[in-house]
Formats: sequence, C-alpha cells, structure tokens
Amino acid sequence: MKTTSIQWQAVINGTVREIEIPPSRRLLDILREDLDLTGTKISCEIGRCGACMVLIDGEPMNSCLMMAYQCEGTEITTIEGLHGETEDVLHPIQEAFLEEGGFQCGYCTPGMIISTKALLDRVPQPKEQEIKEGLCGNLCRCTGYGGIMRAVESAADKCAQRSSLIPAVDS
Amino acid sequence: MLLNRESSGERWRKRRDGKEKVTGELRYLTDMTAEGMLYGRVLRSSHPHAHILSLDTLAAENYEGVVAVITHRDVPGLNRFGIAVPDQPALCEDTVRYIGDAIAAVAAITPEIAAYALSLIHVEYEVLETITDPLRALEDNAPRLHPQGNILHRTQVKHGDAGHALQNCAYVVKEVYSTPRQMHAYMETEGGLFIPEPDGRLTVYAPTQHGYKDRMQIARILDWEEERIRVISSPIGGSFGGKDELNVQPYGSLLALKSGRPVKMHNSRMESVRAGLKRHPMKIEMETGMDEYGRLKAHRVRIVADTGAYATLGAPVLNFATEHSMGPYRWEHIDIEGISVYTNNGVSGEFRGFGGNQAIFAMEGQMDRLAEQIGMDPWEFRMLNRRYPDDPGPLQQEIWRTNGLEQVMQALAQSSLWQRREAISVLSVHDSLSDASSSPPWIKRGIGAALAMHGAGLGYGIDDPAGGRLSLNASGQIEAAFSYEEFGQGLITTLEIMLIDLFHCTGEDISIVIGDTDRVPHSGSSTASRSTTMAWMGLQRLKTPFLQAILQKAHDMTGIPVDQLTTGEQGIWQISWEDDAEIRHKCVVSYREIAAAAQGNEFVFDTKFSYPTTPDEVVGGHFLYTYAAVAAEVEVNTLSGHVKLLDTYHTVAAGPVINPMGFIGQIEGGSVMALGFTLTEDAVMEEGHYMTRNMDTYMIPSIQDMHTSLEVEAIEELPENDPFGPRGIGEIGSVALAPAITAAIRQATGTWVTHLPVSRDQLIRRAGVWQQEGVSPR
Repeated sequence: MKTTSIQWQAVINGTVREIEIPPSRRLLDILREDLDLTGTKISCEIGRCGACMVLIDGEPMNSCLMMAYQCEGTEITTIEGLHGETEDVLHPIQEAFLEEGGFQCGYCTPGMIISTKALLDRVPQPKEQEIKEGLCGNLCRCTGYGGIMRAVESAADKCAQRSSLIPAVDS
Repeated sequence: MLLNRESSGERWRKRRDGKEKVTGELRYLTDMTAEGMLYGRVLRSSHPHAHILSLDTLAAENYEGVVAVITHRDVPGLNRFGIAVPDQPALCEDTVRYIGDAIAAVAAITPEIAAYALSLIHVEYEVLETITDPLRALEDNAPRLHPQGNILHRTQVKHGDAGHALQNCAYVVKEVYSTPRQMHAYMETEGGLFIPEPDGRLTVYAPTQHGYKDRMQIARILDWEEERIRVISSPIGGSFGGKDELNVQPYGSLLALKSGRPVKMHNSRMESVRAGLKRHPMKIEMETGMDEYGRLKAHRVRIVADTGAYATLGAPVLNFATEHSMGPYRWEHIDIEGISVYTNNGVSGEFRGFGGNQAIFAMEGQMDRLAEQIGMDPWEFRMLNRRYPDDPGPLQQEIWRTNGLEQVMQALAQSSLWQRREAISVLSVHDSLSDASSSPPWIKRGIGAALAMHGAGLGYGIDDPAGGRLSLNASGQIEAAFSYEEFGQGLITTLEIMLIDLFHCTGEDISIVIGDTDRVPHSGSSTASRSTTMAWMGLQRLKTPFLQAILQKAHDMTGIPVDQLTTGEQGIWQISWEDDAEIRHKCVVSYREIAAAAQGNEFVFDTKFSYPTTPDEVVGGHFLYTYAAVAAEVEVNTLSGHVKLLDTYHTVAAGPVINPMGFIGQIEGGSVMALGFTLTEDAVMEEGHYMTRNMDTYMIPSIQDMHTSLEVEAIEELPENDPFGPRGIGEIGSVALAPAITAAIRQATGTWVTHLPVSRDQLIRRAGVWQQEGVSPR
C-alpha cells in the first residue's frame, strides 16, 4: 500500500506550507489530518454538502474533491484564515452569522461562511436569488436557512460599510 | 408576539458557543485526536438477512498495521444494545438482520489499513428471506426475526363503539396515509474518540443525547462498573434524535480496550446512512365520521409502523403516534390499534416529533376532507370540534390545563396568510389563482393549515429523571451543571439567559457545564422537548438555597444586612429601595472573594426531581402539551408537478420565550425539516438495501428551496401560577407543516395527497382531468 510521495507546497492562510504527501491525497485530509486545520469539516465526501468548502485562489471549492496535485502552488484560505482587520477580530461575515443566528450546531458554518466570502467578493450587494445561487452548494440541517439568509444580507451591508470607510488593502 | 430580532430587544443574545463556531475553532468530538491513536472501522453485513456460517479474521489480524480485531467473542458483557429493549447485537453472533449489522471491527494505524483489513475478514453467509414489508412480517409463515416473533409492540385505545357509530354517521371519510423513511441527516456523522486511561478507566468522547444512558449501555457491554467510564458527549454537530441511541460507541470502546490505545471512529456518510436510525415509515388507516352538523363522532385508526431490524425506541414511538392520532378534538367513539413490526429494513427509531409527524399528517388530512365534505371552512370545522381546556388528554388522562389550543387557533385565524385564503377560495377549486393575471394557467396556488397538540417529556410510566447543580466554583463563577447536551438547539445560551435573569449578572460571571458524566449530575436526557423546562425548574429549585448561602456569606464578610444585598455583575451588590424601585449602589464583595472564603461545599447545591407526569396510570400518556398551528401557501406547477412553498406561518403556545434566537431557529429549522419530509426526503430501500446512500440522492432542502417568508408567532401566556415555566419547542416546529402543505395542494389542484413525500406524478395534470378522491358520502 505504498504510494510515491511528492513534495507538495501551497500557501495556506497566508503561510507557505510544504509537506511530503502522495499526489492523490485529498486536500480535505491534508488540512484536517496533516495540518490539524479541523475547521474545515467532513460530511458527504462527494462534493454535495459544502461542509469542506475552502477558497482556492479565491474560488470556493469542495476540498473533498480536490487532490493534492490539483491544488499544488495555489493560495488556499480555510475558515481559520478568515478574520477582520486584525487576526483577533472577527470578519464582518462571521460577525453577521453570530448576530443573526446564522447557525445552530455549527458544523456547516465554516463552509457556509467561506461560500459567503466567495459570493460577496464577487457580488458585494447580492439579490436574494444570487444569495441562493451562491450558497446552494452548502447544506444546513439545523437552521432552515432563515438565519443564514439574514446573516448574508447583514454581512453584505457590513462589508459595504467597512469598504466605504477603509480603503481596500487586499481581497 | 411576532418573533424576530427587533421584537426581542435585549433578549436577542449572541450564542455563547458562537464565536468558536464561526471561527472554526470549536473542536467537535469527531475532530479530536490523541497521541498514538488508531483508526477504527466496522465490518457490516453484506446481506439484510442471513445466518453467519463462519467468520474468519485471521488474515486481518496478521496484516501489518492492524492492532486489534474484534468480533462477538470479544464482548465481555451483554452483547446487545438498545435504550428501551436491548435487542441489537453489538457484534452479531450467528444472524444478521439488516444491512447495517456489525460483524467485526478493526483498529489499525491508518484509516487505509483499517479499511483494507475489513476486506480480509471472511464471512460465510446463508442468505435468508428478506422481509421488506411489515405485512409480510405478520404472516404466519414469515421467518421470525427475533425469538418472540416479528411484533415489537402493540397499542390499543378504545372507548365507545366506533364500529357501530361509524355506520350511523352522516359523513365518513376513510383514507390510508403513508409516510417516508426520513433520515436525520445531521451534518456531522457519528464518531468519536475512545481513550483507555492509565488509571484503568475509559474516556468516551462521542456525541449522544444522554451521556448517562450511553455510559450505562457501554458499561453493560463491557461488564464494567459504570463509574469506570467517563462519557463526554457535547458539542454535537446535529442529532435530531438520531444520536440518542448508541452507534459507534461499542466498537470504539472494545477496540480501545483490546489495543490499549486511543481509537478514533468516524462514520462515512454512506456508513451513516447504512447503519443509522431513520424515522418510522408508517401506514395509517383512518375512518372518521361526523353527524350532519359537522360534529365529530367516531374515529377508527390502524397504524402499522416499520420498526426495522431492532427495537431501540420503536415501542415508545408507536405509543406517541397512537396518542397523537386523535388530534386536539372531542370524540365519542374511539378505536385505535397500532402495531410496530420488525423487518429487515434499516432500524427505525427516535426522530424529532417521535411518531407525531406521521399521526398528525393523517389526522389533519381527515379534518380537511371532512370539512370539505360538509362544506365548512376547515378552520371553523376544527374550531367546532376542538377539545375544551378542561377535557382529559387524548388517552383520557389528566393533563395540565392551558389555553394554548384556543390561542393558537385564534392567532392562525387572524394571520394575514390564512386570511388570504378566502380570496383564493372564492375562485373555483379547479383554477384557483390569487394572481391569475401574472401566472401562466398551469401554475396553481393554494393555502392550507393544520393544528398540533404535542406532548413533552417521556410520558407516564417511563423513568424521566431531572435535576441539576448550582454552585459557586473555585474561580468565582456561578456554575450550573446539567447532563444536557448541546447539539445546536442553543441550550447553552438558554441556560446563560436563565442564569442572567435569576442573578442579574453577566455572561462572564457564569460557568455552564454540560455533557460530561464526570462533572455533571444526572438530569436526564436532552430529548422529548424536555431540557429547557427541566433546566428552568431545576434552577427555580436551586436559586433560593444558593442565594441564601451566598448572601449570608456576603453579610458575614461585609456586615451589610442580608436584605440590602443582591447578586449582580461581578459579585454581591448593596441595594436600597425607593418607591418600589431597586437602586443598586455598588458591588461590595466579588464572587471571587466569596469563593476564596468558601469552606468545602458551602456553595454547592443539588436537586433531583422528575419530569411532571399525569397521575393517571396511562403508560406513555403525557401531562404537559404544547400547541401549534401552521399555515402554508404553495404554488404547484401542474406541468412538472413541482411544489414550491411560498409562505409559512407558525404560531406556538409554549410559555415564555427564554432565548428568542434559539426559539426562531428551532421553529424555522423544524419547519424546513418538515418541508423535506413532505416534498423530497425518503431513504429508499429495495430488498433491504439502501438505494439512497448519500446527499446527492437523499434530498434535504437546500437554500434554493427556501420560501420568501416564514413567520413565527410565540404565545407566551401561561395560566397564573403555572409552575413549569417555558416549554420545550425542539419538536413542535416539525410536526404540522406536512398536512398544511397537502391541504394547500388540495386547494391549488384539487388533488388529495395521502402519500409522502408528495409524488410529482400525482400533480401533473392533463387539461381537464380532475377528480375528487377519498370521500364517501353516505
């Protein structure tokens, strides 16, 4: 059961990470097992539920479907890499989920917040249908999505307010 | 009060466990690892029903990297589990009864080796007839799945002579309703970490809804003293009843003890589907009659529940379905029989609503059919036949009197959603359209409503303990400890709000301990919509002795009279009174200082009691009920059969709302779960095998299925001196939406639905085809 390993490298949450792994290792396992970044969750493992959503070069991707060789050399953002102006401050999306009750058990939440980030980066003031399209790859069994809709709407407002106050530094 | 963030004011509180959830910092029990940890995997049966002729694990044991292999021979204690009836083998000896049955388990140094090792275990089967239909299981020549036969449980409620009365009714409706094998589909699948401790104990980190019950069951399997096991069971990534029973705990525990090393288990989604509980599919036949004035007279019900291979709580689920198959209505003649039958399908068990969902769907369906038959407004028809507040409960037992039923019925009647129905019903049923001008003719709209009276607590005759502990801990925090679990419902925040209400302190002055059998007293399970009520009652009992002790101590330390002292932010405050208004002067001694001066357990208080039960000896009968009314508006595309839920209104009478964010979340979440039950969800089985194995074919609602509006109206008023406080609302949001939707489909299309999930085929219309079904005027 030996597989040839490769020297794999990616920028994860702003830090260059280099590990020796088989080229077919799932990104989900790299994150959770090799790097102990357990904020990325494991649930359906077929790319349906979105619990393992991460940003790869800014695009939302299910890390259960992504093999190491496919994302080598990319920039990967997980829930642990999301924060506000400083590392100890919540991102406005996280704040909005907290204030509006956009989660219950919390297991879908990291993926849901990552997908929201990708959505708002692309469409800063999304209409209802755009929110639904942006989040239709993320399943939640607890909330019935009401709190999530309210959280995303509030997050869009928060992000808009901040970007009008603070000049954008990076994405 | 229409509940939302604005109407909640200061009670809208960020969840105490929220920051760690939105940052991904929270370690769920399935995220945990330990030094030297092994990976456990379970070999499950290849057949839904077979004898095991031989079982050979040698090749797996000898494979490099495998540390332990277990079979039934490795179970030192009772090789069975099941909360109510332990009839499910932890590891099968000679017979398998469903496709999720466990035969062996392996612990290895990598998950890949563990998975490969399973393929090296050789099992020889003699395949037996697969019983997929409960009716087949009841035939004399059917194979017996258990020593006592194929019947798990029967129920019977009879008074009057329903058979005779039905013959003399002016109107009778007879219908057979059937409901799906709904899956809990919690996002975190079952799993955990099992650690043999150096002192000879075992620590189990695995989600459950009742840590003490798991501890008892694991101890029974291991033949250990319960106290040697520590069960840590929260936080949980969703449960909905599904993690109430044991799942991976027997294998993790046995593998950890055999290997002497920590073992991690985490089911794949497919294994979760294969082995996990589902909601009981039920066939419910109802024959209901009324007189010429529309007064209900007689009700005959036959319930057949497919309980699958093993019991778990199948019997109490059938009791609950039986109790809820009469609705909140007055009857002269009742004849109800229920039967819960073993089959070789997946195991059915506890699931939010607990048998009420199926029974209420059928009962409310009957009410709509009867109302239509006599030409009455369906809500007025219910109003005419509703039970009175002083009436006995459905099983003729004494119940606690509230006005909840009246209140929810009136609230729904006044809701703007229900009032819109009038506008639709003036049009003919065939082409009802509220906005005929803008929609194409194949789009039909309708509005329906349904009612629920839902029992809480485990019911008469079932041990239903409650209790709790309130203390000032060593670091100077007011600490509340309960054996309840946080699976997302918001229990921790509800407790925090209760404590702030009681002691006028801040969240930082509080410590909440749950989900750890070494640190919490036995206060029963987090099931049956019981834990909010039990926590509230527990704190009511504990607050007085706690306050007396802590204020006396503050007096001893400051010399200020006790009647001028009260609890507050950071410590004890001096107060005075002016015109009945309390004036808070300053904090005179901090909790920390009091804690430092504490002697022994001076500030530790425990209480024990039980969930309130009816005094009448009616097994499973409830004492406390909550009430809900639900209205739904749907749009049906009669070309595709697609049903879209446009608007929903829930009103719930469950006493004071402690945690409005949690309350809304439970009703919204329960409602959307019921939407799946009604329209899309079914774990399809063929010949005892699951055809739906993951979330690609098992369709839970996505955000795309979310309708535009869902209103939650809470009725908080309780009778004066009601001693039970807030009622739990974890289930009631999920029990009455289905019949409201099917009533709306009837209004939109003229089709009566009897089978869930709603079949699209049934709603596709060729021009002019319409027929009235299920009604037999006499």
